[in-house]
Amino acid sequence: MISTKNITFSYSKDQVFHMPDLYCEAGSTLLITGDSGKGKTTYLHILAGLLKPKTGAIEIDKTDIVTLSEKATDKFRGKHIGVVFQKSHFIGALSVLENLEMASWLATGKKHTKRAKKLLEQLGIENQASKLPSQLSIGQQQRVSIARALMNEPKVLLADEPTSSLDDKNAEKVIELLTSLSKEHKAALLIVTHDNRIKERFINKITLI
Amino acid sequence: MIAKLAWKNIWFKPLNTILSVILLTSSVAIITTLVLVEKQFEEKFSSNIDGVDLVMGAQGSPLQLILSSVYQVDSPTGNISYDSAKVWMQHPFVQKAIPLAFGDNYRGYKILGTTPDYLEKYGAKISEGKLFEKNFEVVIGSDIAKKLSLKIGDEFFGSHGDAAEGEVHDHYAYKVVGIAKPTGKVVDNLILCTIPSVWQMHGGHEEAENPAHGEEGHVHVEGEEHHEEVDMTLDEPGMEITAVLLKFRNKMGIVTWPRIIAQNTKMQVASPAIEVNRLFSLFGIGISALQYLAYGIMLISGISIFIALYNTLKERENEFALMRVNGAKRLQLLKVVMIESLLLCVVGFIFGTILGRVGLSMLSNSAEEDFKMSFNPYEFIWEKEGTLFLLTIFVGFIAALIPAVKAYNLNISKTLANA
Repeated sequence: MISTKNITFSYSKDQVFHMPDLYCEAGSTLLITGDSGKGKTTYLHILAGLLKPKTGAIEIDKTDIVTLSEKATDKFRGKHIGVVFQKSHFIGALSVLENLEMASWLATGKKHTKRAKKLLEQLGIENQASKLPSQLSIGQQQRVSIARALMNEPKVLLADEPTSSLDDKNAEKVIELLTSLSKEHKAALLIVTHDNRIKERFINKITLI
Repeated sequence: MIAKLAWKNIWFKPLNTILSVILLTSSVAIITTLVLVEKQFEEKFSSNIDGVDLVMGAQGSPLQLILSSVYQVDSPTGNISYDSAKVWMQHPFVQKAIPLAFGDNYRGYKILGTTPDYLEKYGAKISEGKLFEKNFEVVIGSDIAKKLSLKIGDEFFGSHGDAAEGEVHDHYAYKVVGIAKPTGKVVDNLILCTIPSVWQMHGGHEEAENPAHGEEGHVHVEGEEHHEEVDMTLDEPGMEITAVLLKFRNKMGIVTWPRIIAQNTKMQVASPAIEVNRLFSLFGIGISALQYLAYGIMLISGISIFIALYNTLKERENEFALMRVNGAKRLQLLKVVMIESLLLCVVGFIFGTILGRVGLSMLSNSAEEDFKMSFNPYEFIWEKEGTLFLLTIFVGFIAALIPAVKAYNLNISKTLANA
């Protein structure tokens, strides 16, 4: 589960973002929507510990990540937070399976090959395991990103516009996978999006103004 | 894992990698070869002049005299009268004088008339058989024994001069009585016999004006059985030798003799140390020019690694940001970039070391044919090659420094937001 309180953030002195408080239970989904420039991605980066907020607290599984040092944040993020980005990034030189193993190794020091294979199977791309990420279609790449985000059994799964570069069919499928897998792995799922195709699907919504 | 990632990254851009490795390899290969050649060359040259303070021989180029009489690579400057040489050889300043008489060769290997002192000077003990005592008995160097597969008791005819195609002297056959132990010096490639053997061999035609020599040739058959005969022939008047290697008891002689002898006789004395230094300084120019070239190539390879890393850094920012999201520490990103560069350098160094040795063994083969001088490609000069290794690593370190620091300082949030 994840909850935030009084988060503010500013890139410069004149512009201060006040982020609404949020709360999301393990296994449930929260949608964060809003127009461009309202700080959706910024909020997601703050939640992932990539940016430090000016004030406020973010509690993930009883740890306030705002108070952690940079090193500790890196470690915590690796172990407890999974992130899916709008555009999938991979380590280009490594195969799909090795990318998953690397995600696990960086966080825990172990490769967990079995779990990686199982995840690929659940996502229906186990036969792509030894290919390079660049050889996969965009839809497949996005699925690999989901697999990677789930590799370390995170408490929180953050998704930044996961469907915006996908067609209807793939978008549907990706959302389906995200929700079902986060339920299965008991992760709180936060989706940042402006994609109208998925807005109606969820009840829990926060809109940034 | 980090090292594995670095390794995979290297080969993900094979062209960049190959360019850097080729540049590194060639510079390391050139330097390795130069280091080995220079050291082994100097060793060979210096070890051969141990115990020779001056060389006395016919007038001409002092360098030629040294090359011919000490290193056996050039033709002699001419002959000197043994009688007048003896006057100086018996001088109280002189501790040891070794007379040399060149005559023939056998399949390109020089047959050198001398005294047993010569073998002693090079520390060449007899490994099989015995020393030459009678005329036409020869002791052969270890390399010759191996290459021509000669054994004790074998006989052969020499050819005149130093060309293998020279006129064959078939009046007398040389007989192998001893094989010297390997010394790594010129003596390994020489066939040694007594000086009178050389005189006698050439008695018939070359020095026909010398009647004593002709007689000597005739009495040879009996002479071979009597030691006194052999000893006597060394005292033969009016004979000629090629050069004398001198070792002084009194160092004054080394300084004063070159002038005294030049003024008073038709001979000259030359100092091997001076001549060899002159030779080295001539080579030295070439060697340092090549060395500068090699270091230049190394600099270019460093720049090539830098450019490759720097260019791919832009593309890889997302990759790095992603690794950070997955829990990688800043230091781990720095390590990836560093290790990539160092791996390139290690690979280049290994290839270079191997290639340098392949080059050296090829060089050695041609030097063997032309100068009877071989280089050992398997020698490792830890000190110099170690320094070269450290230098290569240092180049890799410097080349990777800026890209690695940039990776370390990467702003993940910004990178991901702009992607």
